[in-house]
Amino acid sequence: MSLLPWTVALWLFAIGLYGVITSRHYVHLIGCLTVVQSSTYVLLLAVGYRWGAGAPIFFDHPPGTPAVDPVVQALVLTDIVVGATVTALLLALALQVHKRRGTVDPDALRPLR
Amino acid sequence: MKRRARLVLAAVATLALVPGLGAAVAQLPRFGAHPLPYGEAINRVAPVERHVTNMVTAVNFDYRGLDTVGEEFMLLTAVTGALVLLRGRRGESVTDSAAEAPGRPIPQRSPALRLLCRCFAPVLLLFGLYVVLHAQLTPGGGFQGGAIIGSGTLLIYLGEDYRIWRRHMRAHLFDAMEAVGALLFLGAGIAPMIAGASFLQNILPLGRTGSLISGGLILIANAGVALAVTGGFVLLLLEFLEETRAAEPEDEA
Repeated sequence: MSLLPWTVALWLFAIGLYGVITSRHYVHLIGCLTVVQSSTYVLLLAVGYRWGAGAPIFFDHPPGTPAVDPVVQALVLTDIVVGATVTALLLALALQVHKRRGTVDPDALRPLR
Repeated sequence: MKRRARLVLAAVATLALVPGLGAAVAQLPRFGAHPLPYGEAINRVAPVERHVTNMVTAVNFDYRGLDTVGEEFMLLTAVTGALVLLRGRRGESVTDSAAEAPGRPIPQRSPALRLLCRCFAPVLLLFGLYVVLHAQLTPGGGFQGGAIIGSGTLLIYLGEDYRIWRRHMRAHLFDAMEAVGALLFLGAGIAPMIAGASFLQNILPLGRTGSLISGGLILIANAGVALAVTGGFVLLLLEFLEETRAAEPEDEA
């Protein structure tokens, strides 16, 4: 049971990486990259978790009640939003590749001369 | 590289990495029973020191505020890069109508959809605003609220049509929002330095814990992030939707 979160993070990372390696389409590749990225969310949140603790919000609990780690949550939070915009940048690049070369298959693209 | 060669290379690399990875996972601390000292310290001191109740916001905009400045500018760079790529030679010119694929006309919005969107769009935008404003009290903050507001504007496109959405979403306005947001955050960092304190040091009056105006400088940094994220998301949506229009000869970059 205590290994499950680490295993899930590992699995997400591995399956995303496999997708990146075998990808035949840039949009699929970018999707796989976000799967790899989501493994870091699972890992960070699992690191900060504590049994029997609440959210690190002391609005209706008095300060001092057990709470999970807020630092890793802050990391994940910014990671998600910045990740979304970086994904948009990558998709824009994929669009440009399609406009210029007429294909989005990484194998079909030769290095630029 | 050939496909097969790449797979073989990946398999060899996996075989080499798996033992190390397995050892690392086995060495990880027990799940859920290993409080980290830094987070514990934040949970203990932040409510007293900063008069805020949301520890995540305290970390984001105060204790690790410098990191968030970095994140903020990563966001700005990513949005700028995506916009430059998407606009291409077209520049800032925009069209009034979405592209139409041959044989697939865009259907009229049904009255039911229109009504639903008109009911939900204001609620969603208001909820986004609530999430932004209560950053220091309850779960939420500039990042989450900005994303909600930015995506919420899509309901206008869904319920009305492209022309109306385009007319209300002025790209210049959101360009300015993006830049002003980033500047506001940076200004919140630099202003304390002018007053003789350190970068992002919380020198403003902290207010009463639990009130909407509490947390001092956190409020300003949070507002900056909210503006930048809203602007960034709307700009990305605008440019990606503009991408669907029929290409005109002078557009080809």
